Amino acid sequence: MSRGAGLSTITLVYRKELRETLRDRRTLMVMILFPLVVYPLMSLLLAQVMASKASKGAAHASQVAVSGPPTEAAALRRLLSLETKSFAVQSGGAVTDVESGRLDALVVIAERGAAANAAAETTTTTTTGSPATGGSRGARPVTIVYDETRDGSAQAHERLEKVLAGVLPAQCRPAFAVSDRSVAPGSQVGGYLLSKVLPLVVVVMVMLGAFYPAIDITAGERERGTLETILASPVSRVHLMTGKVLAVATLAAVTGMLNLISISLTMVEGMRLMGGIGEGLRIPWTRTFAALTMVVPSAFLFASVMVAVGAMARGFKEAQNLLTPIYFLCITPAMVAGLGGYELTGVALVAPVVNVTLLARAIVLGTARIGPALLVIASTLVYGALALGLAARLYDSERLLYSDADDRRLSLRDWLRRLAWGAEPARDPSSAARPNINTTTAADALLLFGLAYVLMFFLFFPLQARHPQLGLLVTEWVGLLGLVAIYARATRRTLRQVLVLERPAGRALLGAALCGLSAWAVLGLLAQWIAPAPRELIENLRRQILPPGGRSLALTILLMAVTPAICEEALFRGPILRGLATRVSPLAAAALTGLLFGLFHFDLWRLVPTGLLGVLLSLIAWRAGSIVPSMLAHAINNGCLVMLAQLGLDERAETLGTAAEVALFATAVAVLATGAALVATSPPARGPSGGSSRRQKE
Amino acid sequence: MEGVAIENLVKAFGATVAVDGLSLAVAPGEIYGLLGPNGAGKTTTLRVLAGILTATSGRVSVAGVDVAADTQEAKRRVGFLTGTTGLYARLTARELLTYFGRLHGMATDRVAARIDWIAQTLDFTALLDRRCEILSSGGRQRVSVARAVLHDPPVLILDEPTVGLDVLATRFLRDFVRAERQRGKTVIYSTHYMAEAELLCDRIGLCYRGRLLAEGTPAALRASAGAAAPASSLEEAFLTLVASFERAPPGAASPS
Repeated sequence: MSRGAGLSTITLVYRKELRETLRDRRTLMVMILFPLVVYPLMSLLLAQVMASKASKGAAHASQVAVSGPPTEAAALRRLLSLETKSFAVQSGGAVTDVESGRLDALVVIAERGAAANAAAETTTTTTTGSPATGGSRGARPVTIVYDETRDGSAQAHERLEKVLAGVLPAQCRPAFAVSDRSVAPGSQVGGYLLSKVLPLVVVVMVMLGAFYPAIDITAGERERGTLETILASPVSRVHLMTGKVLAVATLAAVTGMLNLISISLTMVEGMRLMGGIGEGLRIPWTRTFAALTMVVPSAFLFASVMVAVGAMARGFKEAQNLLTPIYFLCITPAMVAGLGGYELTGVALVAPVVNVTLLARAIVLGTARIGPALLVIASTLVYGALALGLAARLYDSERLLYSDADDRRLSLRDWLRRLAWGAEPARDPSSAARPNINTTTAADALLLFGLAYVLMFFLFFPLQARHPQLGLLVTEWVGLLGLVAIYARATRRTLRQVLVLERPAGRALLGAALCGLSAWAVLGLLAQWIAPAPRELIENLRRQILPPGGRSLALTILLMAVTPAICEEALFRGPILRGLATRVSPLAAAALTGLLFGLFHFDLWRLVPTGLLGVLLSLIAWRAGSIVPSMLAHAINNGCLVMLAQLGLDERAETLGTAAEVALFATAVAVLATGAALVATSPPARGPSGGSSRRQKE
Repeated sequence: MEGVAIENLVKAFGATVAVDGLSLAVAPGEIYGLLGPNGAGKTTTLRVLAGILTATSGRVSVAGVDVAADTQEAKRRVGFLTGTTGLYARLTARELLTYFGRLHGMATDRVAARIDWIAQTLDFTALLDRRCEILSSGGRQRVSVARAVLHDPPVLILDEPTVGLDVLATRFLRDFVRAERQRGKTVIYSTHYMAEAELLCDRIGLCYRGRLLAEGTPAALRASAGAAAPASSLEEAFLTLVASFERAPPGAASPS
């Protein structure tokens, strides 16, 4: 064969393989959506967690006390009192106060006679000088007593070191020879160090332990031809799946336990190798073994989830493709919880994965209590049982064998439906028809969202960071509306057609206006009650509305209300909503659009309220058969928030009592319901052909 | 009735109708051959009989048990074997048989006794403690057959059981099926090898596009298909019937 023919054969095979692979939706998800969408989201999540942790710490003044010779102690107290944000200086204190947690740190200034000797003896010292004590004769030894296993105490130590070093001109001779003394016993320090690594590693390893067995006993059974045999045996699906899940859970639990033991032993060995530094550190073995109990519920949960996902796959490869994102999805909450600074209280008690991670840590630290521990274990087992029920539904011979028979791919809609209800996929012959270029498809919708999302993260965010106002305008008008305009052009339609920009009924407009007037209050209060956003986030939003340099109200309204109402609606309630609605029911399309809208705001705290607003706006646009009412509602909603900030009412609203809040909420709900009813009962918008544009599909 | 009864079975997957109003009855001690090309609906019909798929409409019963009403009980009365049946590669033959015997609700000692007896009957005692992954295709076939009849079901459903088998293994399987008939079992045997069906089956149903085009003994089928003289083979009879079905208006060719 000639070289040219060989090359052309290679090209032919290459192109065919590439085409075939790129037509696999799941491959695409893993290949493109995952890195581009999930990683930014994860980094954002981590950044927000870190920021909120930092701000939480910053807001908290360290409880400190100074002891030692009266003059020096008083001088240091005065010095520390100047830093009102960092320190709350107590009049007196002892080492036991640090141990009990009443004090974050205690500064002990050595007696005069001991100064020279102690300074010379100090091994780990931070040397500094202070004109306040006027010492040119030598450094005065100061010991910072703190508890390194408490984040607050460790922070107080850091701050004290900074203050004692930072306020002095470099040429001054040192007056303080600062040394550290931690009151935490060796076993507590060992436990603390272990608590930082162990829970996360356990979660990661338990999941890894579940990964391949879950695939092997679900997709593998199918691939090896044993599925039909097992399905023909008189055994119920729930029993079958329970057996499978438990087998996987056992393997996962063993993996987790072996890892846990191995980490602990590694730490012991590491401490021995560290010699001096590690000396005195001990592993709290009893607590470590107690933490092993957490492996069992986690293993059950992960095994159920993974078997459920594996049950949907038709082969090993597909199962791997499906499980990889699930793996990362489960690790993220464990990572967040593992970062520390989170307590096992409130929502965290029942947040899957987060709760077991926090409980494992609390057990190692010795701070776990029986009530919360039982709640964590019970909720985890409940989630596991739910996933198991789902697995049993999904391991359905109708689907597994039918798709074997004719190799039909499960559509996204069927897949989602099966995930939610386990129903037999309904087939709509019309949806299988080749999509008309004149209608937006669900694939178009997702593609547009993906493009906007990636552009936003990699291009427009950096731009907005440099030029807030201009950046925002460019993002909205060029990035969002521009994208939709390009899409319209590419599909040879007018922007009006793509947006479904029709003249709405007056009733729909009135309803939308009422929705806009009330939605912010309903969603804002709900968010505040369920998951209040951190203070600095609210401050940040306020700064966006009222920049420190000042801005005219008209410009603010244009920037913050009119612009997003037009541009964000154009993308989300235009092609995204209409495209998704060609594949799923209008309600599901509205819910999905809302979710995408929430995600697009790159803010986890606002994900739920923004997402719900997105659902509401989608429903308005759908029912009204026009994008105009949703634009109006969006503009009014944002306009209300701008006006509140402008008038300073938002700050005053924070001091509202519960009764006033409930009254405001009830009123807002009533207005919202009236608005929604008006939209729901409005006649459809008039399209250019005079017909209804409400239900494109029907 | 005992044996197998299918009345007006319809099985649809969404818009695709795989079985379209099929009816048949098989008595104990009879081997009924279900013949037809790929996609005729044979496998779907047998899967409904085995309780793996649920009927969209119609009634199906095995050994006097309504499959839809009591699927698990029906499954206990059926031995199901397909040509593509896999074995758990990392289990030994004995472990695998024990697993399925126990799944069928048999007591441990009874399972052990049955395994020994079946292994002797099917001549694979030497293989019992070997892992399935190292067995030859003939060895695997014997283990699969043993797995299907371990719980001594009154009804045997064999879906293209000779696919991929060599001459000796095929012969062994046919002999086994005949022996089961002698023991009074109801056997439904699906294949697309016409010659095999002619050799083995007491009665044959010809399946096409989810319907039964005709049924009867091999000789009767050949006779009914030929316009003037009987068709020379079952294959020819089948082709004639398909051609007349394609010409006839839909629904007219249904034998029921």
